[in-house]
Amino acid sequence: MDILIHDIDMEQFQLLFPKADKRLHIISDTGNIRNCIGCFGCWIKTPGKCVLRDEYNNMGVIFAQAENVFIISRCYYGGYSPFVKNILDRSIPYLLPFFKIMNNETHHKRRYKNNLQFSVYFYGDKITIQERKTAQDLVKANALNFNAKHYQTTFIRSLEELPKEVIDI
Amino acid sequence: MKVSFINGSPKLGTSTSELMITYLTPFIKENEISIYNIRKMDLSEMQFGEITRSEVLIFAFPLYVDSIPSHLLRFLVELERRGFPNKNIIVYSIINNGFFEGKQNHIASNQMKNWCKSVGLTWGQTIGVGAGEMLPYLKNISLGQGPNKNIGRAVQELDDNIMSKNTAKDLFVSPNWPRFLWKIQSSLYFWYPLGKKNGVKRSRLKEKVMDKEYDNKHF
Repeated sequence: MDILIHDIDMEQFQLLFPKADKRLHIISDTGNIRNCIGCFGCWIKTPGKCVLRDEYNNMGVIFAQAENVFIISRCYYGGYSPFVKNILDRSIPYLLPFFKIMNNETHHKRRYKNNLQFSVYFYGDKITIQERKTAQDLVKANALNFNAKHYQTTFIRSLEELPKEVIDI
Repeated sequence: MKVSFINGSPKLGTSTSELMITYLTPFIKENEISIYNIRKMDLSEMQFGEITRSEVLIFAFPLYVDSIPSHLLRFLVELERRGFPNKNIIVYSIINNGFFEGKQNHIASNQMKNWCKSVGLTWGQTIGVGAGEMLPYLKNISLGQGPNKNIGRAVQELDDNIMSKNTAKDLFVSPNWPRFLWKIQSSLYFWYPLGKKNGVKRSRLKEKVMDKEYDNKHF
């Protein structure tokens, strides 16, 4: 299964992706997402699932079934948009709370064994060179922490520049 | 000098971000200090006005998934939308993360620098502290002593820079404690007991959840 996490408004999304594959799990902004409250409930109360009651409380399980993770996000200050970041913040039950050492740094141990591949598309017509550098560092760090073997970061000025292989997923 | 702290922790109770603010405030108590909690985006117009009229803005927040947590990001976007009529503001950050190494806060610090550029404010400095969950356990040890030695040094340097409104290189620190010991202790004395307190056995903490009802639905 592939995942597409995006912050595009629904009308424009349907125009851009009129024939999204049914195997693609699309995660869109319905305006109801709650932010992670740092309670650790997804690790120590209901391991693997977020305790917040909204439609986004199952991100750990969704990541567990994924191969390719596509992210389309407006670039804010060298990172994701608040909605996309909210999804990633709510995805930590995909990992375990326990630590391991990797590249001489501590990281979380994995709960699942599936291999992810991250493809991130940042859009915006005013992305500075410094913001690009920060965004590249961020995707690299996310890939390391989510145990993604491969990752790529692409910058586009507008959604119309999304490559055909993404539109056709 | 009007100094505004933004407590960027989403936690309901006490937090490491709050602790870091507590560490810093005695150093700058001669100033007019305000602390704003942005757990809910419910600051009043007056509070937004006060923030934008500060001389020093200090953001204290936890690192979430290698970067700024989403609720703080929303707040930063809102501040940018409102704008800063007074550009004569210098911005500092105190970031704590759950990993041992304080240097893992560097991306969030760069995001804060990028935000400053976007809104036209002056960047000051970040101190990034690792092993954030451990810090409340060390709060009865004086800053600058024992395991709080590095943290005390960082807080002191940040205080000096705030008071003189200096821009300085980021400073990333971890507690003066062996990393291997911290790693063992985090499981034995933190995660396992927290699980037990919630009736969750050790083996269940590591459970692979595969939701049978999961139906590939589109949100």
